[in-house]
Amino acid sequence: MSAAPVPPPPNLPSSSASFHPLHTLYFCEECDAVRCNRCVAIEVSGYYCPNCLFEVPSASVRAERNRWDSAEVGITFEKPTGLAQQLQKFEDSAPEFLEFERLKDFFEPLVRATSSSHGPGNTSHSTHVNALTTAASSALARDIPGVSKGSKDDLPVYRARVEVSGASGLGAGGDGDADIMRHLESPADVSGLEQRWLSSWAEPLHARELKPIRIPLHSRLTKRCPACRHILIKPEQKAQSVRYKIKLVAANYLPAISVNLPISQTTRKSMSIAQKEDDGSTGKSTMIAGKTYPFQLSMTNPLYDPIQVRLAVQRQQLSAADEVGPGSNVEADNAKLRRPPFAVTLPSTAFSVAAFAEAWEYEDDEEMFGVDDDELLVRTGNGASPSKERSARGKVKTVGVLEKKANTTVIGGEVVLSRDGRGDVKFNMLVSYTYRSDEPQDDNEGDPKARSTAKAVPEMKTFSFYTVVNLGMIVPKEDLTSAANAMEM
Amino acid sequence: MGLQPPVYYIKSEYIETDTGNKVSRRATIAGPQNIILGGKTIIASGAIIRGDLRRTGTGHAVVISLGRYCLIGEGCVVRPPYKTYRGNFNYYPMKIGDHVHIGANSVVEAATIGSHVEIGKNCIIGKFTIIKDCAKIADNTVLMPNSVVPALAYCFGSPGQFVEDLPESTQEIVESETKAYYNRFQALES
Repeated sequence: MSAAPVPPPPNLPSSSASFHPLHTLYFCEECDAVRCNRCVAIEVSGYYCPNCLFEVPSASVRAERNRWDSAEVGITFEKPTGLAQQLQKFEDSAPEFLEFERLKDFFEPLVRATSSSHGPGNTSHSTHVNALTTAASSALARDIPGVSKGSKDDLPVYRARVEVSGASGLGAGGDGDADIMRHLESPADVSGLEQRWLSSWAEPLHARELKPIRIPLHSRLTKRCPACRHILIKPEQKAQSVRYKIKLVAANYLPAISVNLPISQTTRKSMSIAQKEDDGSTGKSTMIAGKTYPFQLSMTNPLYDPIQVRLAVQRQQLSAADEVGPGSNVEADNAKLRRPPFAVTLPSTAFSVAAFAEAWEYEDDEEMFGVDDDELLVRTGNGASPSKERSARGKVKTVGVLEKKANTTVIGGEVVLSRDGRGDVKFNMLVSYTYRSDEPQDDNEGDPKARSTAKAVPEMKTFSFYTVVNLGMIVPKEDLTSAANAMEM
Repeated sequence: MGLQPPVYYIKSEYIETDTGNKVSRRATIAGPQNIILGGKTIIASGAIIRGDLRRTGTGHAVVISLGRYCLIGEGCVVRPPYKTYRGNFNYYPMKIGDHVHIGANSVVEAATIGSHVEIGKNCIIGKFTIIKDCAKIADNTVLMPNSVVPALAYCFGSPGQFVEDLPESTQEIVESETKAYYNRFQALES
C-alpha cells in the first residue's frame, strides 16, 4: 500500500522504533490500518490493587487516593482498614501536598479552557500512570500536554507557596543533614534513594521517619484507534479476566511470518511480523562470509479467505555506516564499502496461502493435511524437513514455494554473502497480500453466470506492510576458528 | 506450526499415558496417587513432584493438579506449600492450570497458578504464591512467599517485581506455543 511510509534501514538503531512484534499490534478495521501501543489512545477501564487484586471503584480511587502498604513505623491506627484515610490528616497539612493542591487549583481552570478549545484530538498519553496523577482528576493528567502545546504566552505566572530555592528550603538538606550523617551508626538509618526517589518532594532523611506509602494501583486499559476513535481493545469488567469484549489484534489480520535458516541448529522462532516488528530472536545463527545460504520463510494466514502474497526486498540505501559495525577494522577501499554485504533472492511471483479453517486448529496430528501436489512447485533439496520424503525426487531448488500445509505456506529464499560481508543479515521486506474483501456482492445470487463472473473478478483488496527479516550474523572467515570455539561452549 | 525443529527424546525414557502425558522415568514422582495430570503434559527428567506431602487426615486428597499442555522442566521441584495454622502443621494443595510451562531447575511452592502462565528457568516461586492467568515470570526470578502476580503481568527480579503488562494476545500466543511444543516433543527409537 502506498500509504505505508518507507521504514528506516533495519541496521540503524532507529529501526527498532518503527517495528514491533506482530502480537503487540492492533488492527483498526475502520481505517484498515495497523496500530501499535505507541499510537493508540488509552483510557482507564478499571483499577485494581496489584497486591490483593481488589478491584477499586474509580470513585474511591479519586476520593482515597490509592491504598496503603503497612510497615512498622510509630503510627497507631485506630482501625485496621482504611489506613489511607487515617493517615490523610497528617498528610493534608504537609507542605508538598498543599503545594500540589495549589498547583491543581492554578492549572485546572487553564486546562479546562484550553482543552475545550483544542477539542478531543489531543491523545498523547503516558502508559505509566503515576500514583499522583491517578489520584488527580483524570482530566488534569490527560490534558497537560495541551497546555504546553497551546497558548503558552497567555499563562499567568504561578507563584509557589514556599520558596524552595536556597538552603533553607524544603528538602534542601544543609547543615542539619550533615550533622545527622556525622552521627550515623548504620547506613540503614538513612532512607535510601529508592525510598525517596519516587515521592513528590521532601522525604525525611531518617529511615524511621518514613511513612508507609501507597501502592500504586494498576489499571486495565481500553485502547482506541488514534484516527477514528474506534475501540480496538476493551477489557471485560473483571480485572483478572484475560478475555476481552473487543479485541482487534493485528495477528488476526496479517499473516504471521517466521524465518528459518536450515544450516544452523539454532532455529530462531524469529518474530511474527507486521508493518512494525521487532527482532525478538534470541539465539543468533551465524553464517560464513562469502557463502550462499538457503533460508525458509513460513507464512501463516489468519484470514478465512485465501491470500495471494507477494514479497519484495526493500532496496538498501547504502552508506558506509550501514555495513561497518563499530570496532571492525575495515581497511577496504570505498568501492568495497559501497557493495552490499549480502544479496537476497526471493520468489518474485505471487504465491497463495490457503485460508484458515477452525478444523485445523483442533487437529494436532500432522498427517491429516492434504498437500496439494499440483501446487507443490518446488521441492527442497536440503533435507531440512525430514518429514518430506518427496524431496528425493524432483529438482533440487531452494527458491520458490517449498511446502503448503493447511493455512501455512513455506517459501524458500537464498542469501548470497559477499566475501568481506560483516554484521547482521537483516533486511526490510515488503509483504503485500491480496484477498477477497467481505464487501457484499450485488444481488447476483440467482444467476450462476453472473456469479461466476463475479468470482472471476472478485472484489480484491490489497494490504501491505513492511517487516524486518533477521537471518543471523555474518562471521568473517578469519574469525571462523574463534566462532567455532564459541559455539562449542 | 512453525519451522522449529522437533525436540527428540529417547522413547524408553518416557512413559506415555493414554491421555498423552509424557513422564520421564528419571523424574521423581512421589505420591502419584495424589497427583493429577490433565493430559498432554510433559514432565522432564530430573523433575521432582511431591505428591506425598499431603494434608493430614484420612481420605483421598489431591495434592498437586496440573492441567493440559503443561511442561515441568528438567530438574524442577514442585512441592505443595505448608504452614502452621492454629498450631497445626499442614500442607496445602497446589493447583496449576492449562498451558503452563515451568523452565528448568525452578522451584515451585505456589498455591495457585492460572492458565497460560510461563515461568522461566531457575526461578523460585515462594510458598502460597498466587499467579493469575497469562502472567510471565522471567528467568532467575524469585517470588516472595504469599506474593500475588496479577493477570497479564510480566515479573522479573529478586525479589520479583512487576515490570510491564503483556500484550492482549498473550493467551493465544502461549496456547499455540505450548501446543507446538508438545507436538515437537517426539520419541526417537533407539
